Amino acid sequence: MASADKPINTDVPEKDVFTLHFLQSLSNLRRQNTFNSPEKTNDRVKKIKKAAYVSMARAAGGTNRLWSRALLRRAAKENSKVVRFPRRKKRVTCLRRRRSNRRDPVEEEEAERLRNLVPGGGGMETSKLMEETAHYIKCLSMQVKVMQCLVDGLAPK
Amino acid sequence: MMMMMMMNGATEAELLLNCTNMSFLQLQRDHLRYHHHPGFFSNFSTINGGESDGFLATTGLNIPDIYREKTTESDAILSMSPENITTSATFVSENLKKRKLDDVVTETKVCDEKRMMMRNKAKKEENNFSNDSSKVTKGSQKRDYIHVRARRGQATDSHSIAERARREKISERMKYLQALVPGCDKITSKAGKLDEIINYVLSLQTQVEFLSMKLAALNSRLDFHIDEMVNSVYPHEIVSTGYLHFNPMQQVITSSDPPLQCFNNGQAPSMWEPDVQSLYSSLGV
Repeated sequence: MASADKPINTDVPEKDVFTLHFLQSLSNLRRQNTFNSPEKTNDRVKKIKKAAYVSMARAAGGTNRLWSRALLRRAAKENSKVVRFPRRKKRVTCLRRRRSNRRDPVEEEEAERLRNLVPGGGGMETSKLMEETAHYIKCLSMQVKVMQCLVDGLAPK
Repeated sequence: MMMMMMMNGATEAELLLNCTNMSFLQLQRDHLRYHHHPGFFSNFSTINGGESDGFLATTGLNIPDIYREKTTESDAILSMSPENITTSATFVSENLKKRKLDDVVTETKVCDEKRMMMRNKAKKEENNFSNDSSKVTKGSQKRDYIHVRARRGQATDSHSIAERARREKISERMKYLQALVPGCDKITSKAGKLDEIINYVLSLQTQVEFLSMKLAALNSRLDFHIDEMVNSVYPHEIVSTGYLHFNPMQQVITSSDPPLQCFNNGQAPSMWEPDVQSLYSSLGV
């Protein structure tokens, strides 16, 4: 009964959901005029990358997960504002909350690095951060599989 | 109105530990809160019925050694006789009614609240009853919270007990992550494991970037295939009127087109969000 997975819910949807969202975002990208120009490959790459992350966040559970929420928020901000809201401010405001459970400086160094990697990690306690990391890893690997499939399918025979 | 429950040796340590476990227990309590009273009682008896570890195990915390310490005190706390259940449950349900349902409970808030309750009780009653009241406070709410006995040779400081619980929560998560990340079980040190996890996340992200570069290079072929692919992921679903004229071609497409084979799991997703197109266009992707 006391299994380790019981309180941690890291269910990730099937591959279908990820493929659908990714393909939809790609087809939307295709409709943009600037997308198909032969030059400016870098912009295209960035857009595709952003599309990949956004569709992953959407497929993985939308706003139910902290990291997906942060990702979507970040993407929305990039559209409306030119300057991105720096992550550091976010972390400072969270530290001001002074949650007494977040001490332990030995762990915090490594947790810091993890916070930098996982989106939305700035405002989380360490144990919650690790839950989010686990789900994020699952979703990332699923997204990588989907993209790999796509590339393999499209590659010239 | 507090119930008099017999408890010995309760310390503030347990109180604070209770606070750290609030999140799990709050979830449980919220869950139980919506049950009708008889249902609540029955939940209670099943949780505590028979084994002393039942309730503790349902919270999911993996702290076996502390709880299974066999002293008479712990037995008194953990094992409940049936006649106590109804009386204590009446108290607990009353207690639950007192708390607002929409209470946003942070852990420190609850701790403060309970400390205030303790202090008020201590002021009102005589000093020789203050121990009882603190026991009562915890005893009455012991159904909600986990009690921890400090082991011999370990500090009974409230902070250290809370720290210990937190550390064990984190180690539990770490074990879960270890199962996810390949190659993590060969490293014994916690720092090394964290390094490995971080490297894995980084590598996954670089893989996404690399694959998106590849996709950008394959842009022309993507144009050609994209609509067919979107349809094939939903072989039996009519996405929109615009796709209707593709439907007769689907049978041919799914069987012959190599790019689509890796997507065909034969399962239709459970939910369909009509506004997902608008979301993507608003996000600019």
